[in-house]
Amino acid sequence: MSATSRIAPPRGGLDAFPAPSRATTIRRIVWLAIALVAVLALPWFVYPPVAMDIAAWALFAMSVDLLLGYGGLLSFGHAAFWGSSAYFTGWIASHLGLPFPLAILLGAVAAMVLAVPIGLLSVRRSGIYFAMVTLAFAQMIYFVANQASVVTGGENGLQGVPKTFFGIEAIETESFYFYYAAIPIIIFGAFACWRIVHSPFGRVLSGIRDNPARVRALGYDVERYKLIAFVLSAGIAGLAGGVFAISHGFVSLQEVDWTTSGKVVLMTVLGGMGTLWGGAIGAAIIVLLEDYLSSAGFDGIGIITGAIFIVCVLLFRKGVWGTVAGLVERIRGRLPARRRPDPDDGIDAPDSVTATDTPHDESQSEAPR
Amino acid sequence: MTRKSSSLVVGGITAAALVLTGCAGGPPAPDGSALSDGKVTIGILNDQSGVYRDLSGPNTRVAVDMAIADYREKYGDEAVATEIEVITSDHQNKPDVANTQAQQMYDRRGADIILDVPTSSAALAVAEVAAAKERLFINVTAATMELTGASCNPYTFHWAYNTEMLAKGAAGVVEDGGESWAIVYPDYAFGQGMNASFTAAVEAAGGEVLESIATPFPNDNFSTFITRAAAQDPDVIGIMAAGGDLINFVKQYNQAGMQESTTLAVGLMFITDIHSLGVDQFSGTTFTDAWYWNYDEQNREFADRFTQLTDTRPTFAHAGNYSAALQYLEAIQRAGTDDADAVIAELEGAELNDLFLRNGVVRSDHSVIHDSYVARVKAADDVEEPWDYEAIIATIPAEDAFSDVNPNCSM
Repeated sequence: MSATSRIAPPRGGLDAFPAPSRATTIRRIVWLAIALVAVLALPWFVYPPVAMDIAAWALFAMSVDLLLGYGGLLSFGHAAFWGSSAYFTGWIASHLGLPFPLAILLGAVAAMVLAVPIGLLSVRRSGIYFAMVTLAFAQMIYFVANQASVVTGGENGLQGVPKTFFGIEAIETESFYFYYAAIPIIIFGAFACWRIVHSPFGRVLSGIRDNPARVRALGYDVERYKLIAFVLSAGIAGLAGGVFAISHGFVSLQEVDWTTSGKVVLMTVLGGMGTLWGGAIGAAIIVLLEDYLSSAGFDGIGIITGAIFIVCVLLFRKGVWGTVAGLVERIRGRLPARRRPDPDDGIDAPDSVTATDTPHDESQSEAPR
Repeated sequence: MTRKSSSLVVGGITAAALVLTGCAGGPPAPDGSALSDGKVTIGILNDQSGVYRDLSGPNTRVAVDMAIADYREKYGDEAVATEIEVITSDHQNKPDVANTQAQQMYDRRGADIILDVPTSSAALAVAEVAAAKERLFINVTAATMELTGASCNPYTFHWAYNTEMLAKGAAGVVEDGGESWAIVYPDYAFGQGMNASFTAAVEAAGGEVLESIATPFPNDNFSTFITRAAAQDPDVIGIMAAGGDLINFVKQYNQAGMQESTTLAVGLMFITDIHSLGVDQFSGTTFTDAWYWNYDEQNREFADRFTQLTDTRPTFAHAGNYSAALQYLEAIQRAGTDDADAVIAELEGAELNDLFLRNGVVRSDHSVIHDSYVARVKAADDVEEPWDYEAIIATIPAEDAFSDVNPNCSM
């Protein structure tokens, strides 16, 4: 039951992250190619503004998964960062006339700055208390945005945010081309998530999730690790929020509303916690479903999404990604049936951590969170 | 090795699933289908599932269908719009959903016009899209002055009412003896705008606002605010909340026994609010109404047709959407085409009259002004039939009901 191997201090354990084998590298490349083709082909199959929504929400869900799946921290106030970055991005783009990628980056930085005091106060708690504290801060941001109507437009929202992009008209006016101009930002954010999770820092974070006392005993500053994860996650949520604001051309109070925080947690759980890519699947499902139901002439959109959530929580604890992965493995009979999806499953190569993945690790994985 | 290939398969399946879900969204979008293909498509974008469902919602479509039927009956074989299609979408009162749905309606579903759109932020988001896509947008159910102010654009019209028009009824209340006011308003853009408009209107009519009290929004418990307002001993208490907050306020106001000593003036009220809470709860309340179904024979006839189809009486939003659709089709008839710019040219400056627009004029800021009414909620004993809740105590002529052309608007 020891978790020592997993969270071995990086100094002695640098070889805990050996260079991936050749087969692994090839598999990674194939995987990335598939993912990239899916992302690039999206606006051909889906209405481009909806495709952009999917991409933005996908990154937002990944940022939540970074905390929830890898750090064991359920933030119920992530809309604060998505929304405040959206407001910053929108304001900068409207008033300073900067190209939109720059505005989005500045928005993300603003979200990270905001996350420092909020994180300092909230990471001292965990579980339901952490969720409540983050929710409380997010509500504070909501009311500030509501009251500061000179800057935010209050209830009416911040209207007329331009898609300034070096005077290239196709990108500034056509949502189809805009998608391709904005998608590198999303890909950059997704890569950042992946990199964080697979760094020594990410290992320590997973260790904190599974056994904070032991990690502390090993000499790590648990609170600081949590805080850094929180701030990084806020920055990635901020990137997504900025893209969303520019894509829609306005920012409204909806962006800092608690329902937005709830929606992104729903996406993460639906897609599969602790898988990163699951969040993208969850986002695609929810956004497409809402889009379809809006024009289907059906009265109760909330009933459908709520029912899906209930079914998912009751029957598919691992989310779509985790369940499908588990099923395939089970059918092939090559792995034990009731195995929790490992954070390393998916695009990444599990072999890369063989040095530390001892049999202990498997039993550790089965422990309920 | 085994694990590798298995997760490769997993990945393949998920990627395929992703692409398939994508396909469900339809084929690649042609951006901006140019001309309307001999078909006029009217899009209705409103709240079909939430708090504004009753006052506009699915029944707006019934009203628009009635306008189409009337247009067809009037012009028969000479109708320019030979084929008319109505499409609907639910914006859930969320501006980002409204924004995406509006884009889809114009781009993919071929909408020539979008109607209704309650919730100010959603309406402003749709106005942006209309300007970008150069198609019409007639807003009926949102209150914000911004639509015909700083955010105005050539493709957007504001049909039924706005916050300043709602305040004009206050003058009638002042003349009726309600000189001293206390105003309770929710502290967000709509409430602040309403408070400013009402204060100006009361003072212009020679009345006095003793105190303006801001409340949190949304809010459940109004007792302290009611006590504070009552402490001023005003003739009139004005409440600027809408929807659920209004219902809460009125219940608590009545429980406090305030009905005996003061008059209640409500900023924005739809007949469905009276119906849901019960007429006795609102008795004696005055408010500005854009249209009332039992005002005269013409309205009543429309309301009877509407009731046959829906089992409820129309709100002013329903009548406003009927009027907007009808006048849009009339403009197409005059222009001989459904080209947006040609239709706008027909609408601009037009003097319009129908059952909703009495002495209607389309102003240069695209605010459509018309006669409005000061209404008082009847006592429960005076109600003669279901939905017979209002007594119209004064008519405000169109030019007095709406303030001057908005100087912030430049198109």
